[in-house]
Amino acid sequence: MDPSSVDSAEVQRFLIQEKEKAMMNEMVAKLTSVCWDKCITSTPGSKFSSGESACLSNCGQRYLDLSLIIMKRIQSMQ
Amino acid sequence: MDFSSMASQAGGSNPKMPTEKFMYHFKSQMEQAYAQKFIETLGRKCFDKCVTKPGSSLGGSESSCVSRCVDRYIEATGIVGRALFKANQ
Repeated sequence: MDPSSVDSAEVQRFLIQEKEKAMMNEMVAKLTSVCWDKCITSTPGSKFSSGESACLSNCGQRYLDLSLIIMKRIQSMQ
Repeated sequence: MDFSSMASQAGGSNPKMPTEKFMYHFKSQMEQAYAQKFIETLGRKCFDKCVTKPGSSLGGSESSCVSRCVDRYIEATGIVGRALFKANQ
């Protein structure tokens, strides 16, 4: 096997890692968009109020809880 | 195009390229795509928040709103990102 070819095992591992990174980035981006809309209701200030930053932090975690409930529900239907 | 489908597609390109070069090139493409998408998102979000009635030019308060909005959105990305990582542990 040609060690410099794109088909090598090393490159495959690399691509799997990069894909995972990309999926994580995508998830954070989507969640930030949703949570921004939910939590930042007025004109952006020069810093977040404590309510706004708590909302953003909670939003992320609650979305994860929600995803878990949805998965379990769907699994219980099978 | 979203990042994960770009990553999948790039897997089949140019089999003759040396590995190091390919990985470097691939990473920088992914970073560029991410930056571009982020900038698009900033544009949408901050236009929504700061330019409620588009006039014949951007006013001073609109411009400073956009600056603050960019800073806050970057900060929000960090807060949400950290909340996700904490929960995964």
